[in-house]
Amino acid sequence: MHSPMDSTRSARQNLAALRRGKRVFLVNTGPRDTGQSDYKNRLTFDDMIQLAPKYEDAGYVAVELHGGARFHQDLMHNRINPFKETLAWKQAMRHTLTQTLIRSTNVFGYRAYPKNVIRETVLACIPTIDIWRCFDFLNHVPNMIPAGEAVLECGGIWEPAISYTESDDTTDAYYLKLTEEIVTTFGGEKNFILAIKDMAGVGSPARIHRLVDRMLQRWPDLIINYHRHSTDGLAVPAVVEAALAGARIIDVTDDAFSRFYGQPPVQAVVARMREVGLKPFINDPVMRETSHVVRGFIGNYEEWESPFKGFSYDVTDHRMPGGAFPSSFEQADKGGFLELMPQILRGMGLGNKMIKYFDVTPGSQITWTTWAAIVQRIFKDGGLAAVDRLLDMLQGFIDDGQDVTKLSGEDRELLMTVYSGATDDLKSLVLGGYGPLPFGWPADWVYESIFGTDWRARVKAEREDVSRALDLPDEDLHEQADRLAAEIGRRGSWEELMLYVAHPQATVEFIQFREKYGDTTRLPSGLWFNGLKERGDAVDFEMHGRPHRLELVSMGETGTDGRRPVTMMVDNQLMVFHVDMPDAVTSGTAVRYAGAAPGEIGATVKGNLWRIGSRTKALSVGDEVAEGEEVANLEVMKTENAVFSPIAGKVTEIAADKNAAVDENQLLVVIEPAE
Amino acid sequence: MTKRFEKVFIANRGEIAARAIRTMRELGISTVVGYSECDRLSLAVMMADQAVCLGPPPAAQSYLDQEKIIRHARDLGCDSLFPGYGFLAENAEFADAVEEAGMTWIGPPGKVIAKMGDKAEARRTLSAAGLPVTPGIEDVENADQIRAFGEKVGYPLLIKPVAGGGGKGMFRLDNPDQIEDSLANSRSMAAKAFGSDAIYVEKLIENPCHIEFQFLTDSFGNGIHLGERECSVQRNHQKLIEEAPSTKLTVEKREELGRNVARVMAELGYVTAGTMEFLLDTDGSIYGMEVNTRIQVEHTVTEMCVDVDLIRQMVITAAGHKLEIPQDAIQFDRHALQCRINAEDPKTNFAPSFGRVEYLRYGVGPFVRSDSGIYQGWEVPSVYDSLLMKICTIGNDRLSAIERMQRTLSEFEIRGVKTTVPMHKQILKHPDFMDGSYTTDFMPKYLEQVTQYGDEEGMRDISRIAALVAEISALGQNPYCR
Repeated sequence: MHSPMDSTRSARQNLAALRRGKRVFLVNTGPRDTGQSDYKNRLTFDDMIQLAPKYEDAGYVAVELHGGARFHQDLMHNRINPFKETLAWKQAMRHTLTQTLIRSTNVFGYRAYPKNVIRETVLACIPTIDIWRCFDFLNHVPNMIPAGEAVLECGGIWEPAISYTESDDTTDAYYLKLTEEIVTTFGGEKNFILAIKDMAGVGSPARIHRLVDRMLQRWPDLIINYHRHSTDGLAVPAVVEAALAGARIIDVTDDAFSRFYGQPPVQAVVARMREVGLKPFINDPVMRETSHVVRGFIGNYEEWESPFKGFSYDVTDHRMPGGAFPSSFEQADKGGFLELMPQILRGMGLGNKMIKYFDVTPGSQITWTTWAAIVQRIFKDGGLAAVDRLLDMLQGFIDDGQDVTKLSGEDRELLMTVYSGATDDLKSLVLGGYGPLPFGWPADWVYESIFGTDWRARVKAEREDVSRALDLPDEDLHEQADRLAAEIGRRGSWEELMLYVAHPQATVEFIQFREKYGDTTRLPSGLWFNGLKERGDAVDFEMHGRPHRLELVSMGETGTDGRRPVTMMVDNQLMVFHVDMPDAVTSGTAVRYAGAAPGEIGATVKGNLWRIGSRTKALSVGDEVAEGEEVANLEVMKTENAVFSPIAGKVTEIAADKNAAVDENQLLVVIEPAE
Repeated sequence: MTKRFEKVFIANRGEIAARAIRTMRELGISTVVGYSECDRLSLAVMMADQAVCLGPPPAAQSYLDQEKIIRHARDLGCDSLFPGYGFLAENAEFADAVEEAGMTWIGPPGKVIAKMGDKAEARRTLSAAGLPVTPGIEDVENADQIRAFGEKVGYPLLIKPVAGGGGKGMFRLDNPDQIEDSLANSRSMAAKAFGSDAIYVEKLIENPCHIEFQFLTDSFGNGIHLGERECSVQRNHQKLIEEAPSTKLTVEKREELGRNVARVMAELGYVTAGTMEFLLDTDGSIYGMEVNTRIQVEHTVTEMCVDVDLIRQMVITAAGHKLEIPQDAIQFDRHALQCRINAEDPKTNFAPSFGRVEYLRYGVGPFVRSDSGIYQGWEVPSVYDSLLMKICTIGNDRLSAIERMQRTLSEFEIRGVKTTVPMHKQILKHPDFMDGSYTTDFMPKYLEQVTQYGDEEGMRDISRIAALVAEISALGQNPYCR
């Protein structure tokens, strides 16, 4: 049994088939969103590709394979070429389409791209990706236009998404108005699929039913795809209500994949749908078999599942999307502030009533980093009591209609400190760097708290009501290609260039890894994660159409040269490898922090120092920098954070290693002031 | 007086020792190989019938210790000694000492070695015998002589001390204005370095081709040639690829030169095998340079090309027998190619790469010959030359020999030491090599181009993945996904 989709047909024909079918169609998000939310995107190619023929036979209309984070993880940790991954899926399925998720102007990367890059990226991926779901965390439709135009022109299926949350502002009227803008912008309701992207899993079943119903009353031909996470525990009834109201496509995943933060289990969804008289399009035996296949390997991913598992109905308040919720606990645990999580979550719930946007990348990261920092800072100065006092004060302030004049002098002072440590991303957000905020700019006090007393001048000079992301000048891809060539010692292919544009550092490392070890995507996941454990352990596998066998013969002790001999039978031939072991004694060099001197530039946030210098200029000792020039860039939860030099001068020291995890205020670069 | 050898002492190591043992075995001669301490478990030692330790690794205390070698050879009852190449192979004094000790030296007589070892005398001898040599003037007294010589043969010229070596006191002259200064400099440097200020000037052949003729002679005055080898792919005078025949000689030229070489060598009293080196100028002129009085590394190319076992003929002629093959039986209708596999990293200026051969796999298959001195598990010592193995292919034409070599090298995989194989693969597909137009200029000109390959070049996918799995297993987890 195959879905009515057919990759050999045009987008228009496939959309018509969806509209004609009197069934509820299912999209399986296992490889991407569930994999991302519950398994940190570690699902290996070798395991996942087994599912392709199953999904095809089960009758799923599409499989969600990619998104920016999977793209990045594929390069950085899975060492898979995302293009080859999608190609393999494409080759294995005809009636189940391939689907990706892109972030408006960021596409697969962590920064906004100019139109030419967006176009080139779509062109590079279109042969293997049928459905392009696109969201914008501000629901700023113009931000989706460059990608939408490229996808529609190239013949892909366009699926603009409404970022969905529940709040006083997100009324049905708001969503209907937004839908109207989307319908008008993208050539009418028959021209695309509309996704309702409930990225945190907060939609109440009744509300979702009502919203879908009202949308379809207005646009009866609209194909609605309801996408929902399970975090609040109400996913199954919610998706069934959406389908009852007429949503044509529902995102689910295999029961064996389904955990707490990804999509709901298909078998439960299907059973409930049938109970209420719906006809989900699915082949039951294959659906069940697929879960058995998943059970065969899912145990290999336990290491990547969060220790902080479990539903959280509180998500309707703090609104952390999918896997961001458990990973925030993991970060807090690592950072030693786990006990502050209740306060941070409460702060996030309050924060999104003061600066309003949608909690999905990068908004969710901004909310998290902002509130994790605020709560930790207040805690450091005044303990838990001070944190609670702040949060209580904010609660009262919000309940009272956010009227600053009603606050006491002391509370007012406290309020002004809330955003005083704002990150560049937050600053950029309130100045319109990502586009206008969906429910208007924040109140004046927010700007004063962020920028200090001269906030008016900053707002006047910088804040814009149109998205700056749309005005970026085209990037010179030849120049990028030259830079890539300089890094890898040869000209990269077009695919490699596109990967490089999206994730430069990860791409270079991926290419170097590939040159050293070759294509490792067919390694069984157990072998990939943990190798061979015991003497005599053997693994049989196939690679490039040939059978192979690796068997561990012996594992020696680390020698005085710091190398450990490993003897293996490789296809029955004895081979000895000498593995460089990391120093047993970790170097005890203390982390240095930036001092008071303006030339000592520290990390603005805790993150990964992935670049020293700017996108166009790598810095080394001796280079001149101008005041305000970008001297480093930190990656924090999928966002780029530029670090600027406050002074003009000459670089006298690069104090941290590229790709090192750096602490907040850790010394990065030292600049000797110019005369 | 003809003899029959019962037991031969192999005074060499590596691939040539192994190669010689094979022919000796075919001839029913038992072998004793002398080895240094670090060659205790070498391939040649394992292959020989008997082995004896010569001493510590430094060659001076083992492979060059004449007295010790002769003593061991005699004590073990050897009736003959095979010197190979390098070490004592062209040492006339040693050749004589071996004979004096009552054994047969499987090589040319000491006096011939001595005569050919003196480059100036060799030139005079060859020239007198009617072989072409580089135009030159000896016993230069003044600049005018050089000026006149330059006018006659054309520039550039090379001025060098008669007693010299290693390029010391050697100057290139591009025009007559440089003569005075260079002559003075060369003289003073020669006097200081070599104790003689005798100066020699010759025509400098730029970017020539290196062509050498293989000959065999017996003690009955018979001499035959086995055609030439072209060895122009070389770096700092170290040959990397050899082929036979050369693409640049006509059948007539080969016939003429080859016969002359064989005749002259027979007349000189040369016995066994030898090589005469020539430089082929771009204008087609060919100049004799010197005679190598030994079996050469690249003798295999000739063996493959004309189907003659040179070492067998050396043994037979040294034993006082007639050559087994007449000139007419030698056919030049096949093409052979050889790549030298050295333990060197061409990417880092051919830095020696010594260590244990962790893994070794190489294809042989049809029309391929390998002469190896190594095996998997062998520790390549750092004290000797870097030649590990030679691979030779044969075909009815040059292209099939090249294709077979490409195929064979694609099956070559070694772990533990870096080799010249990846570079050979690049050379073998270079247009200048493919069309046969290359000269000794090839390597200097294309070094960068032919060393453009990845670090993992030649590693099979499974070996690279196995290396990763070894790494993951040793660390207990995959460092690349964390």
